[in-house]
Amino acid sequence: MRAAVTSARAPGREHDVTLTADRPTTTRMLEVAGLHKTVAVGFRRRKVDILKGVDLEVNDGDVFGLLGPNGAGKTTTLKVVLGLMRPTSGTVALGVAGLSELGYLPENPYFYDYLTGAEFLRLCGRLFSMDAHERERRIATILDDVGLQPAAGVQLRKYSKGMLQRIGIAQALINEPRFVLLDEPMTGLDPIGRVEVKEIIQRLHERGTTVLFNSHVLSDVAALCTRIAIMRDGRAIWQGTVDEALAASPAGDLESFFMKVVRS
Amino acid sequence: MRVAAVALNTFRETIRDRILGVIILFALAMIVASLWLASISLGQEDRMIKDFGLAAISVFGLIVAAFVAASLVRKEVEKRTVFIIFSKPVSRSEFIWGKFLGLAATMLTVLTGMTVFLFALAWMVAGSPSGSLLLAGLLIFLQLLVVMAMTMLFSTMTSAILASVWGICVYAAGQLSHNVLSLSRLGHSEVTHVLSTAVFFVVPNLSAVDLRAAVVGEAGHGTTLLAWCAYLVAYLVIALFAATWIFARKEF
Repeated sequence: MRAAVTSARAPGREHDVTLTADRPTTTRMLEVAGLHKTVAVGFRRRKVDILKGVDLEVNDGDVFGLLGPNGAGKTTTLKVVLGLMRPTSGTVALGVAGLSELGYLPENPYFYDYLTGAEFLRLCGRLFSMDAHERERRIATILDDVGLQPAAGVQLRKYSKGMLQRIGIAQALINEPRFVLLDEPMTGLDPIGRVEVKEIIQRLHERGTTVLFNSHVLSDVAALCTRIAIMRDGRAIWQGTVDEALAASPAGDLESFFMKVVRS
Repeated sequence: MRVAAVALNTFRETIRDRILGVIILFALAMIVASLWLASISLGQEDRMIKDFGLAAISVFGLIVAAFVAASLVRKEVEKRTVFIIFSKPVSRSEFIWGKFLGLAATMLTVLTGMTVFLFALAWMVAGSPSGSLLLAGLLIFLQLLVVMAMTMLFSTMTSAILASVWGICVYAAGQLSHNVLSLSRLGHSEVTHVLSTAVFFVVPNLSAVDLRAAVVGEAGHGTTLLAWCAYLVAYLVIALFAATWIFARKEF
């Protein structure tokens, strides 16, 4: 289905994104075209363009890496796709029925300290209107998947950074989404935590779930992704397969290709 | 279902907050202190306990209403838990109503505990139960629901601390507006009368459901109590719709 997201949309209606019945293509999970976002900052409400015409295409089943230096507009793009921000202009077409088929992990997530891991996932399940039986089944499965079953009854304030990242991934997967968006899922993790998150993404890919994630860790992107896009200054300046990027790389690795594109 | 989920989470969040426990302890201590005041008031023990006890319930309930309601929505935005909530199929109105109902459940729990404690204490001293004390407690709950709704509305527009201050101002103005209007009718200034009338219609008339005087035998309940209750319910519903309308326009 296609989300016609334009500046003419009624404010405050972003959670029932206006979607037309036609899917972008049978294999496309996300199509972003000409996405602009302008915000007013400071006392004088100075206009700043955060997104200056982003075009992105994510195929069904892709593990898609969104790369770029800080301030390139990666997180803003994700927020517009999710409806957390309204675009100034442009279109977002999603290949899913709406937020009920999406999963999202924000960058440096903060959860409710006073809840236990299981209570938090129960809350998320209720927000997806899952019935009690299905909810408990999914909580048991997902806690097992992210290796947090032993800590299910522990309050989140006692979780380590890695455990919080994993419970964040668990809440993003509680509804068995077809499309998962992860904002910097490796940030702040130790090597073991990074490996565990990579394994989770790998398993999602094997199950056919489409994954889009932002990352600065290019070795992880090269190991996990099928396709990538590089953003700079509010635009997607390159996108293609990882193989294409490696073939065009001066040193045969993703890092030198990234530097070449960003500095061009 | 989703409103209930947000409400249950808010109830858990607020009821597990240690600050709430401290406030309740202070309130109970104040109610017990009314026994001492009663002992030095000649022949007015029953009246003193009820009057002072209800005042303590109102003041400590107001602290919870103004400070907790102001931080409920703000905290979610500042700590960015709204990203988790709104990336799921939850509307802004479900979020606002869920937050309000969750805090209302906490407030009901707290006020029930304090009112029943006061009721038992007054029964012990007077030797007979006072049903109007329970009704007065229920109407304090209604007053505080209005303050909570107004404070939540303010918190969608300004900082938590300012929203708390404005919430307390609404409570004070709501208790005084009727008296100010009556006084202005006695004076000769047309400007004062117009201003007092305007304030009377804008702020919620909380004094209309204040039963403290009736509980201590100074005045009757009046026949319009139910109508004033309906007015306050309508007032808080409008305030919550306004909060939803403003919150729906926010970006994160």
